[in-house]
Amino acid sequence: MEILNKLDKIKKDFEKVLAKCRDIKTLEEIRIKFTGRKGELTNVLRSLADLAAEEKREAGKVANTLKNEFLERLKELKESLESDAGEKGAGIDVTLPGIEPRVGTLHPITSTTKRINEIFISLGFRIAEGPEIESEFYNFEALNIPLDHPSRDAFDTFYIDDKYLLRSHTSNVQVHVMQNQAPPFQVIMPGRVYRPDAVDASHSFMFHQVEGLMVDKDVKFSDLKGVLSIFCKSMFGEDIKMRLRPHFFPFTEPSAEVDISCIICKGEGCRVCSGNGWLEILGAGMVNPKVFEAVGYDPDKYTGFAFGMGVERIAMLLYGIEDIRLFYENDIRFLRQFK
Amino acid sequence: MKLSYQWLKEYVNINVSAEELAKELTMSGSEVEAIEEVGGDKVMSLEITSNRPDCLNIIGLAREASAVFDTDLHLPSMEIPAKEARAKGPRVECIIKNNDLCPCYTARVITGVQVQEASDRIKKHILAVSLRPVNNVVDVTNFCLMEMGQPLHAFDLDKIEGDKIIIRGAVKSEKIVTIDGEERELRPGMLVIADSKRPIAIAGIMGGKDTEVTGSTKTILLESAYFNPISIRQTARALGLASDSSYRFERGVDKGMIARASDRSASIIAEETGGKICEFYDAGKSDIEKKVIEFDIEKAGKMLGERLEKKQVERIFQRLGMTVSGRGSKNLSVGIPTFREDLKNQVDLVEEVARIYGYHNVPATMTKFIPQVKRKEHPRKVLEKLYETLSAAGLNEIMTYSLISEATSTRFSSIAKDTVSLKNPLSEEQKILTPQLLDGMLRAISWNINRKNKDLGFFEIGKIYSCARGKEFSEVPALSIGLSGTLRSNWQEGERGANFYDLKGILEKTLKVLRLSADFSRMQIDFLASCAGVKLEGDGQHIGFLGEVSTKLLNEYDIDQPVYICQIKLDEILEKSVLTNRYHAVARFPSSSRDISILCDKALASAEIRKTILESGEEIIRQVKLLDVYEGEQIPPDKRSLSYGIDYGLDTRTLTDEEVEAVHSKIKEALIKQFKVGFR
Repeated sequence: MEILNKLDKIKKDFEKVLAKCRDIKTLEEIRIKFTGRKGELTNVLRSLADLAAEEKREAGKVANTLKNEFLERLKELKESLESDAGEKGAGIDVTLPGIEPRVGTLHPITSTTKRINEIFISLGFRIAEGPEIESEFYNFEALNIPLDHPSRDAFDTFYIDDKYLLRSHTSNVQVHVMQNQAPPFQVIMPGRVYRPDAVDASHSFMFHQVEGLMVDKDVKFSDLKGVLSIFCKSMFGEDIKMRLRPHFFPFTEPSAEVDISCIICKGEGCRVCSGNGWLEILGAGMVNPKVFEAVGYDPDKYTGFAFGMGVERIAMLLYGIEDIRLFYENDIRFLRQFK
Repeated sequence: MKLSYQWLKEYVNINVSAEELAKELTMSGSEVEAIEEVGGDKVMSLEITSNRPDCLNIIGLAREASAVFDTDLHLPSMEIPAKEARAKGPRVECIIKNNDLCPCYTARVITGVQVQEASDRIKKHILAVSLRPVNNVVDVTNFCLMEMGQPLHAFDLDKIEGDKIIIRGAVKSEKIVTIDGEERELRPGMLVIADSKRPIAIAGIMGGKDTEVTGSTKTILLESAYFNPISIRQTARALGLASDSSYRFERGVDKGMIARASDRSASIIAEETGGKICEFYDAGKSDIEKKVIEFDIEKAGKMLGERLEKKQVERIFQRLGMTVSGRGSKNLSVGIPTFREDLKNQVDLVEEVARIYGYHNVPATMTKFIPQVKRKEHPRKVLEKLYETLSAAGLNEIMTYSLISEATSTRFSSIAKDTVSLKNPLSEEQKILTPQLLDGMLRAISWNINRKNKDLGFFEIGKIYSCARGKEFSEVPALSIGLSGTLRSNWQEGERGANFYDLKGILEKTLKVLRLSADFSRMQIDFLASCAGVKLEGDGQHIGFLGEVSTKLLNEYDIDQPVYICQIKLDEILEKSVLTNRYHAVARFPSSSRDISILCDKALASAEIRKTILESGEEIIRQVKLLDVYEGEQIPPDKRSLSYGIDYGLDTRTLTDEEVEAVHSKIKEALIKQFKVGFR
């Protein structure tokens, strides 16, 4: 039967082109060519009208089976092509580097200040700020640091004129806060400070501090210990030990210096802690009643504690930075390391 | 302060190693910084805080040890032995002209001294504390200084002119050659010890060369006095001359020790030199007030957070040399010894108890929570958003010194006048409080380029400082951004150098995040090329500028590639930014988009075109977006082509094609009418 030969040839043609088909577009062309309204199979089916009934039925059956088979094969191939198993992924070398988006960094002093702030904010402290150009009253006198007293030795200062100076600590903000607010409160005071120290690996004429102040009725020295202990553990790890040593600050009494067990050697003694196992990180104490008097608080009614730390010092310990000058060189190879 | 372990043990019974002693002294407030072995002795270096001059001597530290270890203190005899009958010697009169600066002065004559090397005992002790042996008279004064903390000075009495010792202020251009051989010009007001002709010592700081004790000295005048700490400090600072003596006078010596130290040192000098102790002369009075502080034990315990036992507290006070009385269980009357002028009130005594009791024995407790509204929070939140946005934009934050040199400052004088400068700068390099952030930025860029890191995107948020004549100092937060080199570079797209529009884009995006928008307009700044001024929308004042750094300025920083830089004052931005906006309904009806390509003069600012499009858009424009800027072939050289995509839409219904076309045509007509543009 001539018509059956014809169908056989169509089938062979179909197989041939299908085998070469690699994309959806070609596939669609094949579908139209073979099974479309004007396609080859349809043409064959149309020509059946001229045949005898017997032949018509038989050829029709074969042609329809073939059409279903074609459609089935096309569907299979389409699914396979759509899954992109072939052409689409072929050019990808999965080992080539990806195209990374540019992501910036924050300066380690910014991020360390932020970390310190966050710990105290979580304890209920609020942030307060004040001026860097300050009068002697706020930087010294109100803080019980009299003129021409050896206690000023620790606070060598840059002067602008006879009355104004660059604050040598952020404690000036304590005075502003107390003048503007009645107890109770808890504040932390981050900021930039200046001291005329020649620059070397551990000194800088400009650096950053965070101070804290809490004033209420019945604030205790033991509370100061509690708060600082939470800070040290949050900052440096839960296994850190903390100790307070008596010290002298004009604005606190009793006063303490606060050490943590060395974060490098865990207290065994190493170069970073000069072999004694402890690192000094904070100054602290109970607010001296004279400071309360200077700001007009009743020292019989209120007690308070204050503490202060150098951000550079904390950052150096935290990241293992050994030269304070690195913070201000702004070498991109340095900056990039702090995400 | 140097402390000899062996010397200390002469005054206190302790059975601990030097290391253990060092630890306990440190934990009670006398910080031991180092211990070294010196000839079988252990010598400690201590940091004594400025409030504790009483610890600047061996007896003072022995007293601390006695309190810490709760053991007895054995003080040496301060009296002149009875066998030393007072001999008759030359008469001297002490006259204090300035009682404020010298309330009390004593002088003792010792005759028949034989000046030679001191005994081994004396030498051993002063060597241990790093003092240099000179002769038996000077060494004894040094020994007594270290032992009791009272500075003493011995004059060669035979070299003193006249029989009067006058304690007075220096007169103008008066000079003295001090023991160290330096001639020093004194200023009026500096306190001197003088004879009838000339100054023979700068009071409390250093003696004069003319009257120093030498090998031929036969008669000495031994001075023991109290000088005003502030006066000593000012003089020492003014002369740039500090001594063991001035160090102690500055901090305040023990008024109760003046005569006793004279007695003890005279006894030892007599012993060492074979001299005869003669008359003791004094002037002024050391007005020693008996100070008593009422100590409330319960209040002290409350402040520390630890219950204190009366017995324990009494014991600590007594070991520290205080007297204690008072029968009640709550209060003590504490008599303060003359060597503790730092103790003035209850809290000072609380510290005494706490430091001997041990800070480590005080528990750690938690404060009660104080609910507080966050105040002035908005600017801080905006700042945080700024940091976040700028670092997310791929920029690295830098931090630069706020002190710069005058020479640097003048580079930017066109934008920053009224600078604030320091009276006592450390160096010329750090003299001016920076009125701009550009110098720091360019330094950072230069630093990196010169280290072969040439692709840089930096930002800094810092303060700029100024002071207009007659006004208050101003510290304003500001932002600077610097771009240089390649901004994007990867193996697929290749490289693209940063340009003006990258910088402008970062600024625009940042402002958008803060829900602000700015107007940019051409501006002239001498050190910038292609400079734009920035104003907040609807505001008259420039808040900053951006542009490409001029070659001249780049050369000053040794930079050989283009740099784009901006500086924006943040004060207004921190106030006006909107962090919490009201939600705006998402458009429910679709937009119709039309593109428009305009051929116009190059000089015509694109902002003008945009403005006209928006104004003619009859409020059905949702968005105008610049798609392309073209100059070159097929376009006259003085023209450029700008293509915009315009989205039209309404919130209430879908626009018909006719409505869109009508408005779109109207926009074209307006553009033709206003700017005589063509369309492509």
